[in-house]
Amino acid sequence: MRRGQRWIVLSALAAWVTWATPAWLHAQDTPTRGGTLVVAISADPGHLNPAITTSGATHTAAELLYNGLLGRDERGDPIPDLAESWTIEQAGAAYRFRLRNDVTWHDGTRFTSADVKFTFEEVLLKFHARTKASMGGALAGIDAPDERTVVFRFKQPYAPLLLQLDATEAPIIAKHVYQGSDPQTNPANAQPIGTGPFKFVSYRKGAEIRLARNPAYFKKGLPYLNELVMRVIPDPGTQVLALENGEVDFLWGVPGPDQNRLKADSRFRMAQTSYHPGGSNCIMTVSFNLERPILKDVRVRRAIAHALDRDAFLRQVLFSEGRVATAPISSELAWAHARGLNMPSFDRAEAERLLDAAGWKKERDTTRVARGVPGVQDGTRLAIDFLHFPAFSKYGELMRQQLGAAGIDVTPRPLEPAVFAPTVFKDRNFDTNVISYCNGPDPEIGVRRMYHSSQIGPAPFTNAAAYRNERVDTLFDLAGLTVERDKRTPIYRQIQEIVVQDLPYYWLVETPTTRAWSAKCGSFKGWTGLFAEAAFCNR
Amino acid sequence: MSSALRTPGGVLGFTLTLVFIALALLAHVVAPTDPFASVGSPLTPPSRAHTFGTDDLGRDVFSGIVHGTRTSLTVAFAVIAIASGLGIAVGAVAGYLGGSVDDVLMRGTEAVQIVPRFFLAVIVIALFGPGLDRVVFVLGVTSWPAIARVVRAETLSLARREFVDAAHALGARTPRILLRHVLPNAVPTALVVISLSAASVILLEAGLGFIGLGDPRSISLGYLANNAQRFLRVAWWMTVFPGAALALVVLGLNLLGDALSDLANPRRSGRTA
Amino acid sequence: MSGRYLVRRLAQVVPAAAAILITAFVVIHIAPGDPVLALAGQHGDAAYYALIRAKFGLDRPLPEQLLVYAANVARGDLGVSYVHGRPVASVVLERLPATLLLMMTALIASSIVGIALGVGAARRVDRPADLIVRIAALVGYATPSFWLAQIAALTLALGTGWFPVQGITDARQVWTGWRYAADVIHHLALPALVLAINELALTTRLVRTGVLECLATDYIRTARAKGLPERSVVRHAFRNALLPVVTVIGGRIGMLFTGAVLVETVFAWPGLGQLLLSSIQTRDVPILLALFLLVSLAVILTNVVTDLAYVWLDPRIRYE
Repeated sequence: MRRGQRWIVLSALAAWVTWATPAWLHAQDTPTRGGTLVVAISADPGHLNPAITTSGATHTAAELLYNGLLGRDERGDPIPDLAESWTIEQAGAAYRFRLRNDVTWHDGTRFTSADVKFTFEEVLLKFHARTKASMGGALAGIDAPDERTVVFRFKQPYAPLLLQLDATEAPIIAKHVYQGSDPQTNPANAQPIGTGPFKFVSYRKGAEIRLARNPAYFKKGLPYLNELVMRVIPDPGTQVLALENGEVDFLWGVPGPDQNRLKADSRFRMAQTSYHPGGSNCIMTVSFNLERPILKDVRVRRAIAHALDRDAFLRQVLFSEGRVATAPISSELAWAHARGLNMPSFDRAEAERLLDAAGWKKERDTTRVARGVPGVQDGTRLAIDFLHFPAFSKYGELMRQQLGAAGIDVTPRPLEPAVFAPTVFKDRNFDTNVISYCNGPDPEIGVRRMYHSSQIGPAPFTNAAAYRNERVDTLFDLAGLTVERDKRTPIYRQIQEIVVQDLPYYWLVETPTTRAWSAKCGSFKGWTGLFAEAAFCNR
Repeated sequence: MSSALRTPGGVLGFTLTLVFIALALLAHVVAPTDPFASVGSPLTPPSRAHTFGTDDLGRDVFSGIVHGTRTSLTVAFAVIAIASGLGIAVGAVAGYLGGSVDDVLMRGTEAVQIVPRFFLAVIVIALFGPGLDRVVFVLGVTSWPAIARVVRAETLSLARREFVDAAHALGARTPRILLRHVLPNAVPTALVVISLSAASVILLEAGLGFIGLGDPRSISLGYLANNAQRFLRVAWWMTVFPGAALALVVLGLNLLGDALSDLANPRRSGRTA
Repeated sequence: MSGRYLVRRLAQVVPAAAAILITAFVVIHIAPGDPVLALAGQHGDAAYYALIRAKFGLDRPLPEQLLVYAANVARGDLGVSYVHGRPVASVVLERLPATLLLMMTALIASSIVGIALGVGAARRVDRPADLIVRIAALVGYATPSFWLAQIAALTLALGTGWFPVQGITDARQVWTGWRYAADVIHHLALPALVLAINELALTTRLVRTGVLECLATDYIRTARAKGLPERSVVRHAFRNALLPVVTVIGGRIGMLFTGAVLVETVFAWPGLGQLLLSSIQTRDVPILLALFLLVSLAVILTNVVTDLAYVWLDPRIRYE
């Protein structure tokens, strides 16, 4: 390329990069030091130890206090954090990490590999649901040959490890604080000591958590903010009011109805992301209880899928914040997300045709009745229930309306989260339900548990449909062993093709959230729990 | 009752109450659209097609209010029926028989009066799940003390009157005396308490709906208010009309109760009898 | 007021408290599922449930269980919230001060203003001012508190910028001393105002009625005829007007708590209201039961205090 041309290309590239840089990183001018950031959180976390729980409330409030071995960049790829470099050995059956030697805990003690070994063996693998479920069975052992080295040894090559090591999936806690105690009742859970950019100052239960800058943070120069306050404001409408009134600077989510108004207001900035400390890359998924006779026929399930207008869900429930799901794996996991699948489209005529063919006839009543359906007595009405968290009641309303038009009687049953989980997974007392299944950073973490036959059981948010398919099981097992991403892509494609045919679930909408913050502040990292590590506020 | 209508407050109260009862009874006529059905585009302001606008799912707000009022009034009616039954029975027996029976019944009444109805309803719903029947049951068995007190007071004074002695002398038995002579005179005063109790039951049920513990299968004014909270800034009609309807129902019942009360105690209104 | 009366009145607390305990106990046991869930919540494991079973004697006959339960409650042991990982009593007591502050402020403000308005209206009976007060009181009583809260947040907080919309203190600045008190008062203003309006309406009506009733008695007519100055007449009527207000306050405590729950939701006030809502979502029944018992206890105690105040206000009254 000639010189002039190169310059043109480079400037065009620079211009494009500037334009394409998400709102996150737009800085008004150079970062200013100091200041307080007030963040609204929706629920009181209860305690501040993110290693013993996957609760969104705890992780939202506490991740700034800790680090993981690795972090993740904007595209979701692993970057160094507590570990400064790593090597993959034995084709993925062993991972060796070299740790930094300049990290100290908030109380001054040095961070070493012993902390990592302790955190995984005594805490994460016992209490952190996602880590336990994914790594627990595959891990052979963790070695800490010296203070700066940790080696993870697996029974077979284990693909997703590098994406499971950030503060959301595997925060590292202090051995000298937790050793010899029960991690769930240790008082340090309310007065945490971590390695993160902010240290703990105070926690007023139900009201607020105050954090202060960690002057000894190992990333020199960071953080810029002096103080960070997390305010508990359960009502989303009040959160928006507080932002507009200047009492709060950062919101984790903006309710749909307020988004247009905030977008038009130059005092605020907004950006969308699929990451959330409680679970990323989530898809609202309808599960069919395959053990129920009414739902055993795939034509009935396909009819239900054809009867649902998912664009209406997107508009009316999510106010267009999100996307209709075009594959069982979230589009955020671009390398695994299959394109061009034959997903059922919104076609009520087709739905009615399928139901007729399956033996569900429209007679006098608006609801269809069974005539010659195997396993179902003649004259039974096509009536199903639909379980959901109270927060998802709009989904129930729309299901009832849309399926009712096709002759299916739907009864929405709202259940509090604490009751929903045992009803669905222990008692299996449901026909259909809707769950926000979060794929996580890697399909091995959040997708496998939905389809693998070994995941049918009382543990919450596993294989709700009770789907069994040997081929799919084998494919998942294979994908978990394959470390190279480009080799995993075709395996996941095959899985998705089968699953779309079998339809144990129906994938409605992908649900990113919109963060909003005062325009006086900037440089937030929306793709990670360390969102304010490099943030600053100009006042 | 007719003299209560002579005051402007009484007239207004009576009218409001009647209007809402009529609305409730004729709900399917006045608002034939299914309140749960999407009939228009979401979040449209009041218009010719939809008098009170539509909500976020395109449902007609007017229809929601009419059917919600029906639910609220049905709950109130059922609760009052149970509470009146219990209250009149307890109050009449206590006032008529007096003595230790009265003592025991009054201690019981005090004990029930203390129970915080809202919190008990919350626990019952948390343990048994939501549903109108649970709300009616809990409120019904805890709302009777006020009625019992009034009925007892009236019975106490009436039981000493000559016509009761006369009835006794003629050979009438106690239950008959109670039913035919004492109660008919006690009930008008009880109506005051009954109408005020109905108002507070409606507010309690709305409060439960507001925090999300209402019956998901029936539209209620509390549910509408809860739903409308998120849309306060973009769709004022979703909050204003249900809130106004609620306030008007309660206002009507209160005015009615006031007018009846003035009737029973003319001095209280400042008009020297 | 005799000491004997005081003792007798306090003794009456016992059957009321017993009734409340029995209600709670009955509800725990007739609910579907294992009673241990009501006392220990949904999230425990087998070892934890065994512990709670032993502590509350759930394997023993029912009457014995009731006694054990009562004894535990009397000692302040209301079980442990698995969700919070701490004894229930500690969780509840932590959030209590904020709610008490809100309720007491609303009660005192509404009582003072209500009495003033009620007396004023009674003195100008049937004239325009009286009418206005009566209508305002009716409307104020009928308007649901959660609705008022939303309107207030929108107009008085966001609209004017005079008041904050959430919390009990300023998030950015941690004040101390009298500036801290001022900060709290600044945040308290709106929620207390909203809560007070309902109470204010009721108090105004009661006082007005009470004063009118008293002014119309023969006693007062005679005093007036004898030339007693109007001021003394009013003062006497006023004292009698307080009687119904005081009696009613006991019954209103329950409703005040309810109102506080609804108002706290809108204003993110960190009190028992938010605890109630989050406990409903997590099905933390031990906390819900504790709140029920607490509110009942408050009602019982307030009744005792108001009964004693009643007797003090009108020495003619004696309970048999």
